[in-house]
Amino acid sequence: MASKEELLKALSDGVVNYNEDQVREAAQAVVDNGHDPLEAIMDGLAHGMEIVGGLYERNEYFVPEVLMCADALYAGLGILRPHVPKKEGESKAQVVIGSVQGDVHDIGKNLVKMMFDVAGFTVHDLGRDVPLENFVKEQLRTDAEIVAMSAMMTTTMLGMRKVIQMIKEKNPNVAIMLGGAPVTKDVAKLFGADGYAESAGNAVEEAIKMIARLREMRAAGQV
Amino acid sequence: MNLDDPKQYPSVVLLGLRLQAVGGDIMEREARICCSSQGLDPEDQIERSVFMSEFTPKERIMRLFRREPLDTMPFFSGMGMVVMPAIKKLGYHFAQVHTDANRLAQSAIWSSKLMGFDSIVVPYDMCWESEAMGNKISLYEDSEDILYPTIPEKRWKSMDEVEIPENIMELGRMPLIPKAIQIIKQEAPEYPVGAWQLGPFTQAGQILELDMILKAVFKQREKVEELLDKLTDMIIKIGQALQAAGADYITLREPGVAADLLSPKTFREMIKPRLTRILAAWESPKILHICGQTDPLVEMMNECGADAISVDIKNNLVETRKKLGNNVLLFGNFDVFALPCKAETTVEQAVEGIKVNIDSGVDAVMPGCDLWPDIKEENMLAIVKTTREYGGARPSPAVGRLH
Repeated sequence: MASKEELLKALSDGVVNYNEDQVREAAQAVVDNGHDPLEAIMDGLAHGMEIVGGLYERNEYFVPEVLMCADALYAGLGILRPHVPKKEGESKAQVVIGSVQGDVHDIGKNLVKMMFDVAGFTVHDLGRDVPLENFVKEQLRTDAEIVAMSAMMTTTMLGMRKVIQMIKEKNPNVAIMLGGAPVTKDVAKLFGADGYAESAGNAVEEAIKMIARLREMRAAGQV
Repeated sequence: MNLDDPKQYPSVVLLGLRLQAVGGDIMEREARICCSSQGLDPEDQIERSVFMSEFTPKERIMRLFRREPLDTMPFFSGMGMVVMPAIKKLGYHFAQVHTDANRLAQSAIWSSKLMGFDSIVVPYDMCWESEAMGNKISLYEDSEDILYPTIPEKRWKSMDEVEIPENIMELGRMPLIPKAIQIIKQEAPEYPVGAWQLGPFTQAGQILELDMILKAVFKQREKVEELLDKLTDMIIKIGQALQAAGADYITLREPGVAADLLSPKTFREMIKPRLTRILAAWESPKILHICGQTDPLVEMMNECGADAISVDIKNNLVETRKKLGNNVLLFGNFDVFALPCKAETTVEQAVEGIKVNIDSGVDAVMPGCDLWPDIKEENMLAIVKTTREYGGARPSPAVGRLH
């Protein structure tokens, strides 16, 4: 029987090598052997995705590889997540996410969504080509802490400014994350956003950073 | 600026009028009236503009492609550059210009005339072929924002289903493009008409889900190759039809293969041979444009057989010029949001930005992508003026000057 450490490594390697079968088997073994599923998500799957982020940054992996790694991660997450015990009286953090109207691209959006899935957020995915007011409505309906918007083109990017204004007017505490090819740090700042990622690949890097932060917090016993 | 009142025309528009006056007395008369109404000396203005414009825009661009000495630096594009002042002047809504050949032509003509661009480009959106292949488009007619048509749901779910109709030029809105080209040639013969086609990989992302194709590059390579070949044949045929309709130059744009998406290795193995095949089948002049990260690709781009290379703001132009040498025509690359659109960008900042663009070694100033229609007029006019004055004052790396 494989040890916990071996299973964590199998999960991590399976994500890095986009081997969905390996990840599925290891995840099932974690459940069958009664190991901690949350630890397997964070120190197995998310750890693997961290390595993938590094490979992308060093131009060893490109978006196709990252997408296949994401598939492998989801294969494991689907098995492990239902076994994570819910803590009493604690509500999960929520995020509203989508590509803005006029934009039918959602690769970057889906990669960021994966990060929130890993971190155990309740994700309200509005999909793509989302009318601007729907972001505001969904935030008000769910009281989500984060709204994440993606735009691939300059034309659609401009719509995000409006959404930020509408949301911040009603609820200044909502954190806003922007992503997409035309979005730069300057644009994000100008629009009043709290975070940004400029491409699908960057979205992964941003996601990795957030996952890494979460893992550190978890190690420190804060989560 | 109120376009109905000649008194408010800035001098760049006067220049534009003078450009049209080459061969047309009526426009020259109009230019004289405009000058007088602004208290400017018409002779002086016309002399200045004649000095600036020995060629019509068409002569200028055709000479550019032949690398012959020019009167000034061209400002033009291989991609859409329709602007809202033209659409408003014509009394159209943005959503209406994509479905009517005359509106398409008029909005393109007036965008170039009002802003002083050196070419007229049609069409604007990227859904023409995918719509002709049976997909429904969203026109966003009810939106207050300027949104290009999109394909919200793709009818084909797998690569096996893709079937490209033989008569694609007769389907959907496709017949409007040759018609618009012909209207432009009749009504604005002094301008070169630019047409474009998406490259096979980007087009594949218009008819199928992009993430599926990206993954299939690894998982189902043969199928991807087969799909790209089918699309390559289609792109060749459509490009030839647009050239037959009178397009004076054509741009192959393949943004979906930039190095922030695909590896240079995949570009070399899968994309480059097909771009080469397309460019070989089209007449000159032809431009190859890729936006996104192109620094690792420019040398391969240059081997694809285009007459000129065009890149966007993510490209390090100075390095690219070093890699390609001074004989290659290089166009680009200003940021289409930061310089002409961003409310906070002053005219002075736009001018400085274009000077940096020119100093980086381009032979013509070209937007890095489709021009965003909601430009600030004063910034756009200053960008064109700076291209003429600053860029025209000295030779560019590949093209000399007459004076």
